[in-house]
Amino acid sequence: MMNQLQKNETYKRKIALRNTAIVVGCAVLLVLSFIISMNTGYTKLPPSDTLRTLFGGGTARENLILFDFRLPRIVVSILVGAGLALSGCIIQGITKNALADPGLLGINAGAGLMIILYVLFFGAHSFLSVFTLPFLALFGAGITAGIIYALAFKKGEGIAPLRLILTGVAVQAGLSSLTTVLVVKLADTQFDFVATWQAGSIWASNWKFVLALLPWLLLLIPYVLSKSRVLDVLNLGDDVAHSLGATVERERRGLLAASVALAASCVAVSGSISFVGLIAPHLARQLVGPRHRILLPICALTGAVLVSAADTIARVVAQPAGIPTGIMVAIIGAPYFLYLLAKSRY
Amino acid sequence: MMNLNSIATENLAVAYEDNLVVNGLNMQIPQGKITAIIGPNGCGKSTVLKTVGRILKPKNGMVYLNGDDIRRFTTKEVAQKMAILPQSPQAPAGLTVGELVAYGRFPYQRGLDKLKPEDNKIIAWALEVTKLTELETTAVDNLSGGQRQRVWIAMALAQQTDLILLDEPTTYLDLSYQLEVLELLYRLNREQGCTIVMVLHDLNLAARFADYMVAIRCGDIICHGAPEEIMTTKVLRETFRIDAKIITEPRTGRPTCISYDLIKENEPRPYMKEGAK
Amino acid sequence: MNQTNEPQSQIRKKSRAWTAWFIIVAGSGLLALLMAFSITKGAAEIPLFSVWDALFHFDEKNTQHLIVVDLRLPRVIASALVGAAFAVAGAIMQGTTRNPMADSGLMGLNAGAGFALSICFAFFPDLVYMQIILFSFLGAAFGAALVGGIASLRRGGATPMRLVLAGAAVSALLAALSQGVALYFGVAQDMMFWTAGGVAGSNWEQIRIMVPWILGALLGAIVLARSVSLLSLGEDVAKGLGLNTTVGNVLCFLIVLILAGASVSVVGVVGFVGLIIPHLARYFVGVDYRWVIPSSAVLGALLMVLADLGARTLNPPFETPIGALIGLVGVPFFLYLVHKQRMAL
Repeated sequence: MMNQLQKNETYKRKIALRNTAIVVGCAVLLVLSFIISMNTGYTKLPPSDTLRTLFGGGTARENLILFDFRLPRIVVSILVGAGLALSGCIIQGITKNALADPGLLGINAGAGLMIILYVLFFGAHSFLSVFTLPFLALFGAGITAGIIYALAFKKGEGIAPLRLILTGVAVQAGLSSLTTVLVVKLADTQFDFVATWQAGSIWASNWKFVLALLPWLLLLIPYVLSKSRVLDVLNLGDDVAHSLGATVERERRGLLAASVALAASCVAVSGSISFVGLIAPHLARQLVGPRHRILLPICALTGAVLVSAADTIARVVAQPAGIPTGIMVAIIGAPYFLYLLAKSRY
Repeated sequence: MMNLNSIATENLAVAYEDNLVVNGLNMQIPQGKITAIIGPNGCGKSTVLKTVGRILKPKNGMVYLNGDDIRRFTTKEVAQKMAILPQSPQAPAGLTVGELVAYGRFPYQRGLDKLKPEDNKIIAWALEVTKLTELETTAVDNLSGGQRQRVWIAMALAQQTDLILLDEPTTYLDLSYQLEVLELLYRLNREQGCTIVMVLHDLNLAARFADYMVAIRCGDIICHGAPEEIMTTKVLRETFRIDAKIITEPRTGRPTCISYDLIKENEPRPYMKEGAK
Repeated sequence: MNQTNEPQSQIRKKSRAWTAWFIIVAGSGLLALLMAFSITKGAAEIPLFSVWDALFHFDEKNTQHLIVVDLRLPRVIASALVGAAFAVAGAIMQGTTRNPMADSGLMGLNAGAGFALSICFAFFPDLVYMQIILFSFLGAAFGAALVGGIASLRRGGATPMRLVLAGAAVSALLAALSQGVALYFGVAQDMMFWTAGGVAGSNWEQIRIMVPWILGALLGAIVLARSVSLLSLGEDVAKGLGLNTTVGNVLCFLIVLILAGASVSVVGVVGFVGLIIPHLARYFVGVDYRWVIPSSAVLGALLMVLADLGARTLNPPFETPIGALIGLVGVPFFLYLVHKQRMAL
């Protein structure tokens, strides 16, 4: 008996060590991705030059490329990756459906629609302050989430996973249709902006975008992390969660709102990117298991690595303009999602 | 005068989507005993349990926990007094026994709290009582049905409540696991003083382990009392519409239904032996 | 009390048959009228007698006649055919997969065809329409195979949820790939039309090629209708009743492919028709596919012609993408279905 207890203790210690190693590993991967990303692009900058420029010794042109083009874009992709990944993780936790993703569920489409409506009625995007984009997106995404929630909810049953997915897919298709109809009415410059946004492009990133996104993340991420235990408990099922003393409906609504806000603010800045919220949580869960205390941070890191890597590839693959990051993420993400689906228990 | 009832309901009415499932229910559950609720399917047993456990909201009537109106307590306070185990709970993949039991400390934690040493002591105690200490780092998915149910009970224990409600804890379990679980609950009651209230499917198991039984049909209490008072032909006929034959089981001394028939008069039953009644 | 000697089921069956015939006959009549009406509307209003003239006393030098015969007639005919094709494809899919949510759009056929088309545009810009349509078939097959294959990989086969998810993912993937290809090879402008969906560019050459395929497939569908009815009861039951399910499934798949592939090559990516119409048809005529399939064809044609009319007249002189219009109607209906779970097969 003593032997088994000792074995258990060693095992627990091993797990703790493993988790730390994974955190470090992910962080290292992120830094690597960052470095690689900084050194790739249309203009070839040898690493030594990059290093020199970083520390203030660069020419005006080098400074421009690095600090005004690449760095903000990389930072945006990292932040967006983290935000979307967290959003997906929460939705999966709340709906107890491991195959949920804000993009598939139409939340992106809702945000996009609101942005398009704004562009339609209030003119070209030169007047569109980057800082109002997240609010618009949040408004659109919020309404969409509300509609999906209301439609998928049945008294006594709550939200059955199948109904949620079907409702989400339908709402997404409907909003896309509506968007398509409206897009036709846009003038050329507006059209470019909207098309770019819809593809999920981090093209026009500059430091303003980072500043627009940062406050949202700084607000939402700590809130979400503080709810780790609640998420754990919600995952056990509504009845058990109730028994353990969680105010299930209220917590769920709060978390859903946070998730939608995260997705909307990210998508406002980076355009419609799907699948991150789907894959990153899965990968993270494979690595560290279902407890949100460690799952959420790893999830964020995984998402950041994923999007920044996809962005780098997207930039390199088709010089000079590159293809939109959202497309790249879909190309990487969808096959993996299909693989997950093929393996899943559903 | 000390209130000897753990739970009492007064004129309880519960509705499921406009269907009144329970109406005018007055029930008292004694403290410190094992109570078994029996009755036919779909006739309100689980509903009553869930309403008492504050999972469902009653349409009308009152629920009293240890003599106080249950609505006065916050969800967390209720969780510290009463634990409920629903039917067929699902644990997320990859969770270990220790981790699941640790969730039982949720009602006592705030915000970003980690588990304190006292929490760990309680968890260790819960694992010991349910004989799961060795399995602490095993994944819940890899356990047998009986073992899994023990883990959920251990989680309820970690909640440190005096009252545990269980909704059909033995359904879908193999015969041996059913006994395993019920004997654990019996020990918890006798050794730790937990009040146990469970909805049971199996009449005989209920009679064997319970101190107090409540027979419910269509949201009404047909009868309540000691097993000897419930396990009678008359009560079972009214509750289940069966014609039951009751004997006293020699080993346990408890009433047991050895056989039953449908209530039908004057019909030949070819499978019965000659001269049987 | 029922005074007649016929059992209730027989009465119901008869009334279904009557309803079906009514829909088919009256629907066809309505369709002809609607088509004629549609031809008169558009950027230029053309009175009905001119249309009649154009059809029977065609005068090359009359602009109105030209508009009617070269622009609008092919469009309207294409709409009708495509509408019927999508609707019947959807009906067959819902019947054979026993999944009320099946639809060529949701199952990746449309996206597959669209992807093939993008490859076409990028790498083989000089293809003749005949070859384009074949590409479209291949693409649709590819998309469907991907979705069906992945959804059935696990024990339990292709449940509705897995089909919808696989369909959404495959469609997203193929759409992204199409976009990627289009952007990379600079054919995005040309592709715009296909991606938005519309019959605006229909001409007689397309019609000439597409008509035999679609009509042939529709005929095939009507012939296979009894098999579809049997398959909708489940593989095992169908086998027990003497149907060769493998042959049946393969034939049905081929027909759906032809219908969806041909339609996408003409009209672009338009979903939901195959989803909504069969439900509507089943609501009126019951679950016997010998009635459902022809009724779906007629109702689908009506919907599409109506939608095309809307596409042309809502925002003149611009085209409103027809896929979007149908989506606007289709999605609320779909949501209603999901919410009520009224999923009769």
